[in-house]
Amino acid sequence: MTVVGDRKLIFRLGGMGFLLDLSEVVEVVTQITDSLDPGRSDIGQGIVSALQFRQTWIPVVDPALKLDVESTVKMRDKTAVILRGTEGNWALLVDQVDKLMAADNFQSCAIPSLLKVAAMGFYSQIQLLHNEPMIVFEPERYYGSAVVSV
Amino acid sequence: MIRFGLFRIGGFGFAVTLEQIKKILQNSTDYSLPHLPGAVAAVLVDGGELVPLLDLSLLAGAESQLSNITQGYRVLVKSEYGIVALPADLSGKIVAEEKCELSATNEQKMNFGIIGKFIYQSEEYSLLDINFLALEMTQDIWQNQFDTGGARRHK
Repeated sequence: MTVVGDRKLIFRLGGMGFLLDLSEVVEVVTQITDSLDPGRSDIGQGIVSALQFRQTWIPVVDPALKLDVESTVKMRDKTAVILRGTEGNWALLVDQVDKLMAADNFQSCAIPSLLKVAAMGFYSQIQLLHNEPMIVFEPERYYGSAVVSV
Repeated sequence: MIRFGLFRIGGFGFAVTLEQIKKILQNSTDYSLPHLPGAVAAVLVDGGELVPLLDLSLLAGAESQLSNITQGYRVLVKSEYGIVALPADLSGKIVAEEKCELSATNEQKMNFGIIGKFIYQSEEYSLLDINFLALEMTQDIWQNQFDTGGARRHK
């Protein structure tokens, strides 16, 4: 039997593939234009906007900033992946959500020692899906325990 | 008998010993990852392992030439620190040492990762110090500490 924790959500950012445990995902919102308030931002915390979600405003984090990834998708056209955090829900902006896959489709892949320094602080695991590297997205690196009002 | 693989990328000819070559791939897929060092153009996947692709064209000039090469090889080379991939166009060849002529070098200007030069059929090829390049080009020391005669981070 497949349970939620055994599945991964695959999303794209700047053409790169990322995977996320489905157990951390609350919802995927594809139409965000009318629910955004970019005036409520805190760039120092990586928060680029606020998003109205289920009658409350939640922080929106754009991981492309921290990852230094160039995305051609404008903010209003992005997809928000709503994640469950220690301080409540928050939204992760991604270029697109690809699909859900069972965890057993992925193959472990070590980060070469020559690239470990470059990866440090941004990601610590990579898995292969059909021979394509997928970065294991670690939400706590992008939005964490610090309480941020929006 | 020592044999060398002779390759070119963006006008830069380079040589590696056949013993160092693990595999030569054609039409492999390159993947980008966040925060790759400036001299690492991409990674590729071989046998379930990630391999950094070193942008050797930076040895020849300030700008990367990789985007101008639409078809080519990826030469997977063994270093002390792991496998690295070197980009090359389709003109690669393997020749015996005695078919090459050792060329005089201007050591001060050309010795960054290069331990000698060969002439083969009137074309010059730099013999690479793979261990040195693997380390320097992946640790971001490349653009910070060495005057490479033009090689710079290409962000």
